[in-house]
Amino acid sequence: MFPAPYVAIYPTSCQVEFYIGIIRAMAIEAKLSHTAAIILQALDAGFVYGFSVMETTGLPSGTVYPALRRLERVSLIRSYWESQAVADAAQRPPRKYYRITRAGQATLAASQKRYPLLNRLFPVPVQENA
Amino acid sequence: MLRALHLAIIQTAALLVPASERAEWLTEWRAELWYVNRRATAFCLGAFCDAFWMNRNTPAPPTRRWFSFESPLKCVMFLAALAALSTLLTTVLPGEPETTTSRSSYLDFSLAFALLGYFFGLLVAASPIAPLRLGKYPVNRYAPAVSVRLLRWVFLVVKMALVVLIAQCGALALASIPPLAGWSMLLGQILGFRWALKDQRERCPVCLRLLSSPTRIGDPSQSFLGWYGTELVCTHGHGVLYVPGDSMSWYEVQQWQYLDPTWNNLLS
Repeated sequence: MFPAPYVAIYPTSCQVEFYIGIIRAMAIEAKLSHTAAIILQALDAGFVYGFSVMETTGLPSGTVYPALRRLERVSLIRSYWESQAVADAAQRPPRKYYRITRAGQATLAASQKRYPLLNRLFPVPVQENA
Repeated sequence: MLRALHLAIIQTAALLVPASERAEWLTEWRAELWYVNRRATAFCLGAFCDAFWMNRNTPAPPTRRWFSFESPLKCVMFLAALAALSTLLTTVLPGEPETTTSRSSYLDFSLAFALLGYFFGLLVAASPIAPLRLGKYPVNRYAPAVSVRLLRWVFLVVKMALVVLIAQCGALALASIPPLAGWSMLLGQILGFRWALKDQRERCPVCLRLLSSPTRIGDPSQSFLGWYGTELVCTHGHGVLYVPGDSMSWYEVQQWQYLDPTWNNLLS
C-alpha cells in the first residue's frame, strides 16, 4: 500500500495525537462557520469564558456553548478551570476559561482571510473581561 | 423563586448529558448563570442545545458485558451451549403424549436434511428483511489465503445452523401456547438469520473478531460530493471497514479494505 520506508517508521502515540490534531484542524479550517469564526475571534480578543463570549458576540447560549465544545473537540481551543482561591477572592464561582491553541491561531488567520470584516469586530484586545 | 426555576431547567437539561461529563457540565452552567442578569430563562433554555450536543458527540464509555461475542470461538461456543440447552429442554419438558413424540422425532437424524432445505428456503425468504449481501471484500495481494476466506463462510454457516436449531427448539417449547405456536418458528428463524448476517458483517474477514472503534465520517448533507458513513477497524490491524450511511448507487454496500501486515503492530 505504502512504500516500505514510510511504513517502517512508526509514530509514537503523542505523535499520532499531534497528527490527528493537525488533520482535524485542517479539516475544520475549510468548514469553520461564520459563527465559529466569530467565537474564535472573540476568544482571541480576550473574552475568555462562555458568558463573556455571549455578551460580546450577541449570540445565544444555545449557540455559543456547543460551538465552544466543538472547537475544543477539534483542538482549536483548550479549556481550563480557574482556581478556587482566585474565585473566592473575587467572590464569584470559578470560571471555565478557554484559550486558543496554535492550530486555532492558524485557523483564525485563515478565517480572517476568508471573512475580512472579522478582525474589525473586536479591534481592541481585552486582557481580562469580568 | 426564579433562581430555583433556572437551576431546575439546567438540572433537567443535564439529564441529557452523558454521566461522565455531567458534573463538570453542571458546574460550568451554574457558574455562567451567576453572571446572567437579564433573559436568564432564555439563557437556561440554551442549556438544552448544549446538552443535546454533548449527548450526540460524547463517545460512550466502554461497557462491561457479561459475555463478549468478540472472539469467534466464544460466539460459536455460546450458540452451541444455547442450542444444547434448548434441545435438552425440548426433550425434557413435559407435554402431551403426541407432542412429546413429535419432539423426539423432530430431532431425528432423518429430519436434518429437511431442516437444511428449510434453512435455505428461509434464507431466501428472509432476504427482503435482511439483505443477503455481506459487503465487498476485494481479493488483492493483502487478502488472506483461500482457507482463511473459506473459514469465514464456515463460521457463518455454523452460526446459522445453530440459530436454526435454537429457533426450532424454542418454537417447540412454545408449541403449547396457541397464538405463538404458528409464528414463533418463522419469526425466530428470521430474527436469527438477521442477527447472524449482522454479526458477520461486523467481523474482520481475517481473524473473525468483532471490529471496533466505530467512527462517523462525513456529513449526510454533503453526501453528493463526499463519502459519509461509519468506519470500523480491526484491532489486529487486518483492515478497515467502510459502512455507508445511506445506500448509494456508487456505494451500495459496505466495503472492506485489507491493510498490509505492517499495520498489525500499530493497531494492536
